Amino acid sequence: MTRRQTGVLLCLPALLLLAVAFVWPMAILARMSLNETADTGALVPALSLATYTRLASDSFTWQIAWDSLVLAAGSATVATLLAYPMALFLFRTKSRYRNLLAIVAIAPLLVSGTARVIGWMAILGDGGMINAGLRLLGIPTQHLINNWTGVRIGLAESVMPYTVLALLAGFGRLDHALEEAAATLGAGPFFRFWRVTLPLTLPSVTAGWMLGFVLAISAFITPHLMGGGRVFVLATEIFDAATQTLDWPAAAALSVAALAGLSALMLLQSLVARRGSV
Amino acid sequence: MRSVSAILISTAVWFAPPSAQAADPARLMTYSGIFQDNYTDVVIKPFNARGTERLDYVPGDSSAAMLGQLRTQKNDPQLDVIIMDVTTAALACAEGLVEPLDAKLLPVIGELDDQARSSGGACGPAVTYDHLVTVYDSKAVVPAPTSLKVMWDLKWKGRVGLSAPPNIQGLALTAIMAHADSGNWKSADGAFKALRELAPAVQTFDPQPDGYTLVLNNTLSFASGWNARAQLNRDRSGGRLGIMLPTEGTVFQINTINLVKGAPHRDAGLAFIAYALSAPAQKAFTERMFYGPTNATAVIAPEAAQRTAAAPENKARVIPMDWNEMIKLRESWNQRWRREVISAGGR
Repeated sequence: MTRRQTGVLLCLPALLLLAVAFVWPMAILARMSLNETADTGALVPALSLATYTRLASDSFTWQIAWDSLVLAAGSATVATLLAYPMALFLFRTKSRYRNLLAIVAIAPLLVSGTARVIGWMAILGDGGMINAGLRLLGIPTQHLINNWTGVRIGLAESVMPYTVLALLAGFGRLDHALEEAAATLGAGPFFRFWRVTLPLTLPSVTAGWMLGFVLAISAFITPHLMGGGRVFVLATEIFDAATQTLDWPAAAALSVAALAGLSALMLLQSLVARRGSV
Repeated sequence: MRSVSAILISTAVWFAPPSAQAADPARLMTYSGIFQDNYTDVVIKPFNARGTERLDYVPGDSSAAMLGQLRTQKNDPQLDVIIMDVTTAALACAEGLVEPLDAKLLPVIGELDDQARSSGGACGPAVTYDHLVTVYDSKAVVPAPTSLKVMWDLKWKGRVGLSAPPNIQGLALTAIMAHADSGNWKSADGAFKALRELAPAVQTFDPQPDGYTLVLNNTLSFASGWNARAQLNRDRSGGRLGIMLPTEGTVFQINTINLVKGAPHRDAGLAFIAYALSAPAQKAFTERMFYGPTNATAVIAPEAAQRTAAAPENKARVIPMDWNEMIKLRESWNQRWRREVISAGGR
């Protein structure tokens, strides 16, 4: 058996699992998107692009697609900016508590997403801890939840642990000797960071941002629970179409379109990353 | 060898689906939570106690999720009876997922009131009535309000929670306001104008986990809700949760009971539907959970009847709205809420 055949055989179980658990359901979803919905809401079997046409001709669909992109990009950016110094510290520290600190950094992943959001609701609510503190200080209270602000805060927090993990995984390329060489040549701490550390860690920053972006754009719980019915994004729209208006073809068409769009973005990102590394 | 067999048999039993482990009872799917607790106590247990047929309660999520189950089981039904919202049941009926039912097949249908018989169309009739109410914090809102207009008072700015469409509470509220404004529940321009004015006072258009909880934990002072759950929450809160059936009126939320097409236990399913629609079962459930009865011969205790739409003074405030007509307006009202109301209520 050749090396190539062995490789194929080893990959076969995973490929089969992928086919059953992902490709087949996606094929069913794509088929569902070609059905139609009657005025009464009843599902009408068909082979038609009418649902795609209906959605594409509605400016609201484009608005929520744009809002979803902006929200996900913003949340991923905030998460990456917050995660970077934390991950760099965890990577460099020689403390015997390093592992404990790493666990603390990713501890939010140990709590269910819904429980985390409910925690945020108690903290950010009109009568929550932050507004209670502002009231004590005589500062006007702020609306921090049931709007876009709350969703941005919740999403940035929820994707941050993943970004920390992605950054930590990529920091292996950071050679400390190069930073020492820069210091020997007279570079100050800021200059060293700007010209040596940051460029070397940029690929992991991109990977961490992309992971955060993908998780944020597909997030449902945070926009649903913290948006107060004011935040419309692709995930909430798909949920409403599937479970409230029972427009399954629309839910399926939006899902297929979102998957295609995200795949295109990730392909573009990998092409840019490859060109950058050449 | 014997112990190996025992292990194999017990393993097989462990992995077998629950329906194969029991004596293969019929299966009812409907709402989970307090509906399940109360319906099981006063309807399912007495039915099973008769000893002729057995029925298992399969908790569902929303009506939409239950319709999803029916759609996916179309070629191999695992359920026998389903209780769901009339708008969703209409889809199940149109898609041929449930059977037509009439008084010839089930004579008890002849005991139901006219609306209950007609609301399910050719398929299952109404089994419970509920109606939209406004719940409020009875400690903070004094005197007790009688009209929806109280929510427009600037005093309550940021203390109002409304469930916007596609939630049917939002559709029902729009219809009530349209009826109060124009006398026709479909002519909603005036209602949307008033809702736009109310929007800045609204804290959330999607109360989570629900309006009753948010009023009781002092997050909101007003929220929209359904009467039956509101009545239970009022009792549990010692009267803290106030309930208003406004002078503007209300609309029914109707649940229908349906026999699944191709049900594996059709006879037991039909027997249960007959029991659920009978006067004793209707009386028991109304007195337990304050859903209005659909069987006209059910004699409800006056103190319970007062708390449902069965009371004459409450019934007089019910707007004759057809949910099947409403479904045709749903998408346009949904869009108007988003573009005109919610956008005017930025925070």
